[in-house]
Amino acid sequence: MRSAGLQEKSLNSKDSKQSPQSRLQALGVERLSLLGKYAQPLMQTYISGYFDETSVSEQALDKLIKARLLWRPDEQEALCLRPGVNGLIASLTEDERKRQINADIAGQLDQIRTRVTHYQDAQYRGDYAASEHHFQLLTEKVHDMTGQFSDAIASLWNRLNSDFGFVSNLADKIRENELAQKQLRRLLDGFELIDFNEMIELAQSNGALRKLLVSQLQVSISDHASSLLEVQKRLVELMARFRQQQERVQLIASMSAFLKQHPNFRVGDYANRSKVPELVNQAKPIIANAAIGLDRSSDTEVLAELVREIPIEHQGQIQIPQSGGEFELVDESLLQAREQALKEDVENFFIAILDTAPGEDRGLSALEYLQQRQLDWDAEIWLFQVIAEFEGLATEFRCSFILEKCTRELDPFNQVDIIYDLNLRVNQGLVLK
Amino acid sequence: MIEHGPLLERLLAGQSICAVTDEEAFRRLQDEVTREELNHYLRPLNRRLAQSQDGSVFFLAYQELTSDAREHLSREFKQTIQSLLPLLEWMQLVQECLGRDSALSAGDTIKLQEFVLKTEDNQSLRLRLGQLASDRYFKSGSDNLDTQLKLIFKRLKENGYLFQPHKDRQFYVVTGKIEQLIELVRFIKDEESLPLEQESEQESLF
Repeated sequence: MRSAGLQEKSLNSKDSKQSPQSRLQALGVERLSLLGKYAQPLMQTYISGYFDETSVSEQALDKLIKARLLWRPDEQEALCLRPGVNGLIASLTEDERKRQINADIAGQLDQIRTRVTHYQDAQYRGDYAASEHHFQLLTEKVHDMTGQFSDAIASLWNRLNSDFGFVSNLADKIRENELAQKQLRRLLDGFELIDFNEMIELAQSNGALRKLLVSQLQVSISDHASSLLEVQKRLVELMARFRQQQERVQLIASMSAFLKQHPNFRVGDYANRSKVPELVNQAKPIIANAAIGLDRSSDTEVLAELVREIPIEHQGQIQIPQSGGEFELVDESLLQAREQALKEDVENFFIAILDTAPGEDRGLSALEYLQQRQLDWDAEIWLFQVIAEFEGLATEFRCSFILEKCTRELDPFNQVDIIYDLNLRVNQGLVLK
Repeated sequence: MIEHGPLLERLLAGQSICAVTDEEAFRRLQDEVTREELNHYLRPLNRRLAQSQDGSVFFLAYQELTSDAREHLSREFKQTIQSLLPLLEWMQLVQECLGRDSALSAGDTIKLQEFVLKTEDNQSLRLRLGQLASDRYFKSGSDNLDTQLKLIFKRLKENGYLFQPHKDRQFYVVTGKIEQLIELVRFIKDEESLPLEQESEQESLF
């Protein structure tokens, strides 16, 4: 795009001064505004790679092609962006996937040489207007070239700093890094083509040329060169890191695959070799424990303080049994006397059942028994304990009894039944010795 | 010496010290004078300060390899070998699940929640995770993804591969011990001349 524009510019300059300039201006504005007007579909093309021809009218399509924004690389293929437009968008959006590095320095140097000759020729002829024009183009050319270098370097830094994040996997990153290193090498090779002795000769005694071609160029090239060397160093480092990561991923994957394929794989007895490998030698833990030592008088105060800080446990509080435990599990010495008494009374109740006359209905109501014997227990606690006792019996004994729960519905609207009495009977089917 | 007390205690208790688990202690251990002091103290206990090849982890090794020491090493080593496959599988799983292109290494962070989210909708990851969780190294009997993952991470934390900076947050940092594991894998590969290279070469050709 740019070179085409330049050609037009230089062609036009030979003709009459005013109109071609303004014509170029008008054409440029018209075409640039097309970029803005069709930004949406053009950007879509940049992303998808082809232009959706149904998205605009036929007229508009024509305009876009004429304006050299779109083209058809082949009759059969879809419309796509011209390389220049692609490059422009990539550069504007700093899109490293598509950003290009132009390392063709030799070609640019040729153009500079030609331009210098044009300029000197015009000066020699005394055509100041032409020489001024050529000088302006020459300045642009030199700035273009150095600008490309700084763009290229910025792009390389960008890729470096994002760890080549624009591609998703490690293998791609390695390839991108290789590509970047190649581009960089070509740029550095190109720098070597810039021969400042030649530039001095080209500039001769012309101050403006000397400044442009020698001093300015020299400063920017040496800046760029040192920057590039730094980038190169970093690229190589990053590459080493990528390779290391790759090796690690592969090591893990291949070892894991190997172990799966060889489930009976045995490693050597490294621990009993004469020379035990360093990484196997990991000592057994030692727990450094300590106990209270009363043999040092100076510590007594601290220890006494610690003792005072221990909260005193308050004993007391009778524990009402929530559920009965098995006899064997209960440590009698710790039981409250009352609890023990309750248990004994309940046991007596069970014995009383067995003592009832054989035959008919050998059973008793728990509450009746409580009243008969005039025992001093709360009816509810009594019933709980009887159930607990029954549940706590060993299975072989328990099946000698039948425990019948006399329930009544608490409320017609919910399903809660309450046990108001218990009826304990001897299981007639099983005769207990 | 007294200022190294807590550090010594941790080392003696079998913990490894890296920049993730204890940055301050790790920094102190970089000093050769400190290391000599510690070694002087450890000598009667038949211990010495050792570090991994890449210098990222400090731990205690036996000073002299007595028969007791060898017996212990042999036992420990067997256990490590048994845990090798589940650990490698776990590393692969994390890498795939979180879409990273590098294998786990010390200092990497893993959020349990992120892991859950990525695994939930992926049937194949889900399956592999279930298999891994039921491995005898992790011993999970649960079918619930959340429980399985919590157990896996808890176990890895207990074994020193992961560090949990906040007790009540399910956020973990990979410790230097993972580097030791990789070193061990590399060592076994070389020592037993396992034909792993061919496989990886094929992969890279692809």
